[in-house]
Amino acid sequence: MLNVENLRAGYSSVPVLHDVSIEVGAGEFVSIVGPNGAGKTTLFKTLSGTVPAMSGSIRFAGHDLVAVPPHRRPHLGIAHVPEGRQVFPSLSVLENLEMGAYTEAGRRSWKENLKRIYSWLPVLAERAAQPAGTLSGGEQQMVAIGRGLASAPKLLMLDEPSMGLAPTVADFIFDRLMDIRRDAGLTILLVEQRVAEALQFADHGYVLETGRVVLAGDSRKLSADDRVRQAYLGM
Amino acid sequence: MTEPQILLEGFLQALAAGLLVGAIYGLMCVGLAMIFGIMRVINFAQGDFMMLGMYVAFFILVGLGVNNLFGATIGPYVAILLAAPVLLLFGYLIHRLLISRVTGARTAGLEGEGHYAQLILTLGIALVLQNGSQVLFGSQLVSIRTPLSSAAWEIGPFWGDFVSVFINKGRGLAALFSVLAILGLWLVITRSRLGRSLRAAADNPEASTYMGIDVDRAYRIAFAIGTCITALAGGLLATNYPFHPFVGLEFVIIMYAGVVLGGMGSILGAFWGGMTIGLVQQLSTLVLPTQLQNTAIFVCFLLIVILRPQGFFGRVVERT
Ligand SMILES: Nc1ncnc2c1ncn2[C@@H]1O[C@H](COP(=O)(O)OP(=O)(O)O)[C@@H](O)[C@H]1O
Ligand SMILES: [Mg+2]
Repeated sequence: MLNVENLRAGYSSVPVLHDVSIEVGAGEFVSIVGPNGAGKTTLFKTLSGTVPAMSGSIRFAGHDLVAVPPHRRPHLGIAHVPEGRQVFPSLSVLENLEMGAYTEAGRRSWKENLKRIYSWLPVLAERAAQPAGTLSGGEQQMVAIGRGLASAPKLLMLDEPSMGLAPTVADFIFDRLMDIRRDAGLTILLVEQRVAEALQFADHGYVLETGRVVLAGDSRKLSADDRVRQAYLGM
Repeated sequence: MTEPQILLEGFLQALAAGLLVGAIYGLMCVGLAMIFGIMRVINFAQGDFMMLGMYVAFFILVGLGVNNLFGATIGPYVAILLAAPVLLLFGYLIHRLLISRVTGARTAGLEGEGHYAQLILTLGIALVLQNGSQVLFGSQLVSIRTPLSSAAWEIGPFWGDFVSVFINKGRGLAALFSVLAILGLWLVITRSRLGRSLRAAADNPEASTYMGIDVDRAYRIAFAIGTCITALAGGLLATNYPFHPFVGLEFVIIMYAGVVLGGMGSILGAFWGGMTIGLVQQLSTLVLPTQLQNTAIFVCFLLIVILRPQGFFGRVVERT
């Protein structure tokens, strides 16, 4: 579904990503882990187009993404749940979800989608009329995820959904993600610093360090890899 | 007539005048609120966009024969209505050709988010519009008065048949149309998909891109709407107020004060900000000489800004 080859990208001509290649098949759950500053967020932004690709190719569902303007990419079926949640603070929770449904697909399936989003994340129904900026961090993360789901995406990209959250809240969000994946059969690309969880739930994974993929493979194999165990799992 | 009756009549008359002119100021401010309050673009040419709206309405009325077609009473209102889409297009093009170069993604990373460049650019646009209009239209006063501007409704008399308030029909209609225009815009902004996308783009441009919104286009549309609304207010004002190419200077300050008073991000707030200015301006004439009207506005402005820095309707939530 998503095929990234030899991607180089960065900020004002300084590359942050070097020669990154990644593949995500339809229905798969893929995790990308790596230390702070490795370029994970930059990779997501390059996929969404808010950071330009310098060279390499990105193919998604038969499209050459590099040639598609950033604001058209969500309409092809990519939902990006950005790092730090980035909800629309002055819009109500419901309006945030409606913004998610700005895509053609999201608009078509809005009614059923909203019902499902509320069933996965009931707190959003309780808070529907409240400005999203007044919510707690965990609730805002749920708004951001709900907003992504409301676009009826083919691929859901999540950038550190557990960032800045208490462990119990983060666990809750991971559990919901598993429910969502099971119920919706969604393809998910996850970036996480919580390496244990990220690999536990994933089909396969990549380890990104200083803008390069240093390890890749089946997530069980990665969890068992000595380098991963030492560097990320504290074993 | 007794002393208290004279006082009451004076007060009610000033209150009515304040409400009527306040409604038009409110509409003007709402136009700027779209551009400055919501999209955070500094536009010093807003007063001159208003001036342009006045002249376009004038030329549609006189030059296109709307006057003959609809008569002197209704003609001006038709001309004002027809001027609105012209200014909408004008705002859209000005943004596309000039303003877009100093806003949005291009300047997001710059110090002051491109505000310095916006300041210089829009001051330049203001000068060009003022001087260009002076060359084209001359500097004599013109107006699009209707006969209604010299007619009045009398409310009263009451309190022993002595106290009555006169409402100028022209001003009354202008105020009514202003309120209707604001309600219409408010519905669009709060209820429609377009309005939601504009608010989202203002709240968080990056996340809006992830929703599939063309943020540059959203800014352009907001700028066009803001231009159109202020021009509409200008046209309505001109039914009672003769104008000249430099008329914008008198009002641009009122607009900024109104938007800040109302609370930066709020459409309805900007309306109440403009209304407050109208009321203060008119009521101050009861106790102060007319030359001090504008001083009264600014004393009031300072007081409110000191007591309530976020404005009447300021957002509690931080903008990202
Ligand atoms: N807006 C930016 N401008 C310039 N450099 C940036 C910007 N954002 C991130 N970087 C740099 O890019 C590198 C990768 O950052 P990022 O993609 O955020 O890493 P991660 O998400 O893996 O923590 C870091 O060295 C960071 O300093
Ligand atoms: Mg990151």
